[in-house]
Amino acid sequence: MIFGFIPLVNQWGELIQQLTQREIKARYKQSILGYAWVVLAPLLKLTTLSIVFKYFFKINTGEIPYSLFLFTALVPWTYTANAVSAATSSLIANAALITKIKMPRVIFPISAILVKLVDLGLSTAVLLALMLTMGQPIYWTIIWLPLIFLVQMVMTLGVSLILSALNVFYRDVENLLEVFLMIWMYLSPVIYPPEYVPETWRMVYNLNPMVGIINAYRNTLLYGVAPPWESFGYAILVTAGVFIIGWRYFQKRQAVFADVI
Amino acid sequence: MTAIKFDQVSKQYTKGKKLLKEALIEVARFKRAEQFWALKDISLAVEPGEVVGVLGPNGSGKSTLLKLIAGVTEPTTGLVTVKGRIAPLIELGAGFHAELTGRENIYINGSILGLKIKEIDRRLKEIIDFAELVEFIDTPIKHYSSGMYMRLGFSVAIHVDPDILLIDEILAVGDAPFQAKCLRAMNQFKNQEKTMVIVSHASDLLESFCTRGLVIWQGSLAFSGPMTEALKEYRRLLTEQYGNHFNHGYHSHPE
Ligand SMILES: Nc1ncnc2c1ncn2[C@@H]1O[C@H](COP(=O)(O)OP(=O)(O)OP(=O)(O)O)[C@@H](O)[C@H]1O
Ligand SMILES: [Mg+2]
Repeated sequence: MIFGFIPLVNQWGELIQQLTQREIKARYKQSILGYAWVVLAPLLKLTTLSIVFKYFFKINTGEIPYSLFLFTALVPWTYTANAVSAATSSLIANAALITKIKMPRVIFPISAILVKLVDLGLSTAVLLALMLTMGQPIYWTIIWLPLIFLVQMVMTLGVSLILSALNVFYRDVENLLEVFLMIWMYLSPVIYPPEYVPETWRMVYNLNPMVGIINAYRNTLLYGVAPPWESFGYAILVTAGVFIIGWRYFQKRQAVFADVI
Repeated sequence: MTAIKFDQVSKQYTKGKKLLKEALIEVARFKRAEQFWALKDISLAVEPGEVVGVLGPNGSGKSTLLKLIAGVTEPTTGLVTVKGRIAPLIELGAGFHAELTGRENIYINGSILGLKIKEIDRRLKEIIDFAELVEFIDTPIKHYSSGMYMRLGFSVAIHVDPDILLIDEILAVGDAPFQAKCLRAMNQFKNQEKTMVIVSHASDLLESFCTRGLVIWQGSLAFSGPMTEALKEYRRLLTEQYGNHFNHGYHSHPE
């Protein structure tokens, strides 16, 4: 399966690159505000959520200011949510190509996920700016970031493969997606600390790979400690499982995409 | 070396699209989706340089045959082998991304077919000129007329240096001058010993152009041989099915 990737990139890398660049350019052309939104929207969300959960709900995040605590999770979460959502509709959006030319169809969800990296880059810059202005020290544990990010990407791709393939067969998947993402967000420690989850539920709760990933980001960025293995370890295992299932399912189903799309 | 080979190929489709909730209901009731065979047990071999015309009534499976050759769909049983680069299947609503401009689509199509960006750069002008779309090349495809779609589709397909060209009932959309241009291009192709498979209801075109004819009848290969014979066989089958009145005006010279 991993070996499937190398020829994919060799032969189709240029196409993936083109589809990705094209989307990015189109967004940029539509409006400079298109990218201003990428910065503004999370800032607005951040402000609102901060006020509500800090002052109304009085969520306790100890030493760390709530807004920083929130934003470290909101940035990666928003990436995964937007990437999954774009990837889910990517096959339908490219139906005209899929029914006319033979090519590996994974190209479309992959490119959809890559496109959203621009947004992630911009919001990460905002996060860094916020950290610096709030006097948050940068710890050496930042070197963990590439690993955490890799796990997040693989997980995002795995989920995207499953949902995009399902969406070809059942168009209501796209409609259910919003609900799915909302549930997923509330079951992830984005707006609250994971310690708020009752001890007895923690094992089940940690099965959500986003839990380990968010905890790992917070640990390394805000607290200067290594990723928490009890949740991040789970995240790695579940991610591997999700990816294998997603890749297999996609490969199995892609033969008939052109027939049902 | 055979260009296209079908070995006992059959293709089954499932009828009707579904929503997740409908699928769940079906599972709950132990019902299975309705299926039917669009092509049944087709075996054939096409040599490089052959120009094959495909005849058959609506819904007989002609487009399905081309899709199998193009590799966009896979046979349910049997084996399809194709040698050489295949141009994108040219049919109505060509393989383009509606939101992208003509130019961007040329690049994307080119890369899918394995051309390097530099190679596409070199062919770009020729493709645009052939399609006569200089003014509209930076307009999103969604604003193209069906004739413009077809021009671009045809132009891309013949300029990516394919070994196999598949044409599905499309020439009808082009205006007379462009049709003539397409025919000239196809003639050049013919002279270069490239393989073509053409689906058309225009029997004159097929008769003058193709070296071989296939008749697809209700999903089966009813005839394969010289084009004139294929047309005769097709007319015979039509008469058998619909009676003689159907064929009035179909023969230009009734025997
Ligand atoms: N993706 C699909 N899903 C389900 N059924 C399909 C699909 N594509 C084609 N069919 C069915 O398969 C049969 C053959 O279709 P096909 O498009 O190959 O016919 P055709 O010979 O090209 O007809 P026409 O002359 O009208 O273009 C038809 O009954 C059609 O409804
Ligand atoms: Mg057809």
